[in-house]
Amino acid sequence: MNEKIIEFDRVVAGYSPSLTILNDLTLDARRGEITLLIGPNGAGKSTVLKTLFGLLVPRSGEIRFEGRAIGGRSPRSLLAEGIAFVPQGRNLFGSLSVLHNLELGGITLPRGALAGRIEEVLHRFPRIRERIGNQASTLSGGEQKQLEVGRALLLHPRVLLIDEPSIGLSPKLVQEVMGLLRALADAGTTVVMVEQNVRTALKYANRALVLETGRLALDRPASELLGDPDLNRLFLGGAGSPAAATAH
Amino acid sequence: MADFLQLVFSGAAIGAIYALAALGFTLLWQASGTINFAQGEFVMLPAFAMLFFLKVAGAPLWLAFLLACVVAMLILGYGFKVVVVDPLLKHGVIPLVIATLGLSIGLKSAVKAGYSAEAQPFPAIFPDGLLALGTIRVSYADVGTLLVAGLIVVGLQLFLNRTLTGRAMQAVAQNTESARVLGIDVKQMVLYTFLINAVLASVAALLVTPAYLAKFDMGDSIGLKAFYAAIIGGFNQTRGALLGGVLVGVLENLMGAYVSPAYKEGVALMLFLVVIIFKPEGLLGKAEERKV
Repeated sequence: MNEKIIEFDRVVAGYSPSLTILNDLTLDARRGEITLLIGPNGAGKSTVLKTLFGLLVPRSGEIRFEGRAIGGRSPRSLLAEGIAFVPQGRNLFGSLSVLHNLELGGITLPRGALAGRIEEVLHRFPRIRERIGNQASTLSGGEQKQLEVGRALLLHPRVLLIDEPSIGLSPKLVQEVMGLLRALADAGTTVVMVEQNVRTALKYANRALVLETGRLALDRPASELLGDPDLNRLFLGGAGSPAAATAH
Repeated sequence: MADFLQLVFSGAAIGAIYALAALGFTLLWQASGTINFAQGEFVMLPAFAMLFFLKVAGAPLWLAFLLACVVAMLILGYGFKVVVVDPLLKHGVIPLVIATLGLSIGLKSAVKAGYSAEAQPFPAIFPDGLLALGTIRVSYADVGTLLVAGLIVVGLQLFLNRTLTGRAMQAVAQNTESARVLGIDVKQMVLYTFLINAVLASVAALLVTPAYLAKFDMGDSIGLKAFYAAIIGGFNQTRGALLGGVLVGVLENLMGAYVSPAYKEGVALMLFLVVIIFKPEGLLGKAEERKV
């Protein structure tokens, strides 16, 4: 079993004092693995990523990265630690060119290092190289997602947090993005992913953590969960009806 | 035809001043969602700061302008952001609108009571006289105003589009959350916007005060027309602010000359109403999505 790189220890967090999403949540992610967070809407999957990346400050509990407490630190300082985040939805700056979007992804890097890192990303994503001078808003959905991931990879993150990477992508592109994340994990990057496209994501993930009402309900190897006849119920929450389940 | 072109030229010159103030409106809105109804007073205060440095400190005009810029950046840039905008913006746009309306009244009253209610003469920055451009005659003041305003606008566009900091400011304006995720210092970029607005207001003051004279209520007209210009051009587009400003200035001049001076002041309002009804996002603006 790989060592724990991210740990949540009884974390309580939410968007306002009256709206608690994570309730004493304890979980971990392990080095070089894809950890998939699944659960019904409102279970707190995206909130885990936002809290981990410093966009929400935990009210109590501790978040650790490589054993050191990081709860409440700013995104900028977490980027410097080696944690990068690709949020849900479209996150590009549409009126700026592809190159300028990449440059902004490396804004925390020393100026001398930026060109080399951009070249690395373009080498990995040849389609992005072809569109380098275009406005980001003109890219296709798949190209945009590639650019978002590539932009996050500029900093050589040790942990990549990614929220719903398959939204808006065709099945073929979803396979491509998942394959890319698998390759990153195999190369040593820890990936923590939230994904509604559960069946596809489970094929690429190492572990699946099922959340319910802000708590960890289940922690199982992804391959085991993939064969579980109760997967739909788990995905939709304990109270969900199997008959109504529509997990992909 | 020569008269018409002269009117267009001089209208464009005053429109360029509206555009500078309108540019500030759009920059603040894009970067931080701030609507500043004291923008006119942000033009008036640097005028009086320059007068202070000219009269009391005996500084030459160029030095008085630079010092006024520094004062404006400190008070109208940093101070405005920290004291007024930051505490209020988290409660929504309406409290900030009310606060800036109050600030507008307060600043006018403070200058009226603390300095003078009378219009104060201000030294000309361009020589008197007319320049012949083919068949038309234009004043050096109009040419100079257009050149200075044009240089400021071009310089600002170059800064925003050609530097990493400028692009980071655009990124913050387009998607603050994504900018934060990339490690862009959002607070710093927003502060830069407020500082730029203060400098734009100071330049507008330098250009407009020789003609309008320094008076506590000199910002009323400029602030209102800059607001209209920003809406007409498109509140979310800096290019829109330029177009709106110049359009208002030119149409005002033409209306005053060919219809009646009585209608001149109403041109901006009429144009504003037409745009709001038929193209509410502005002539160059883009419709924005609202997330509920």
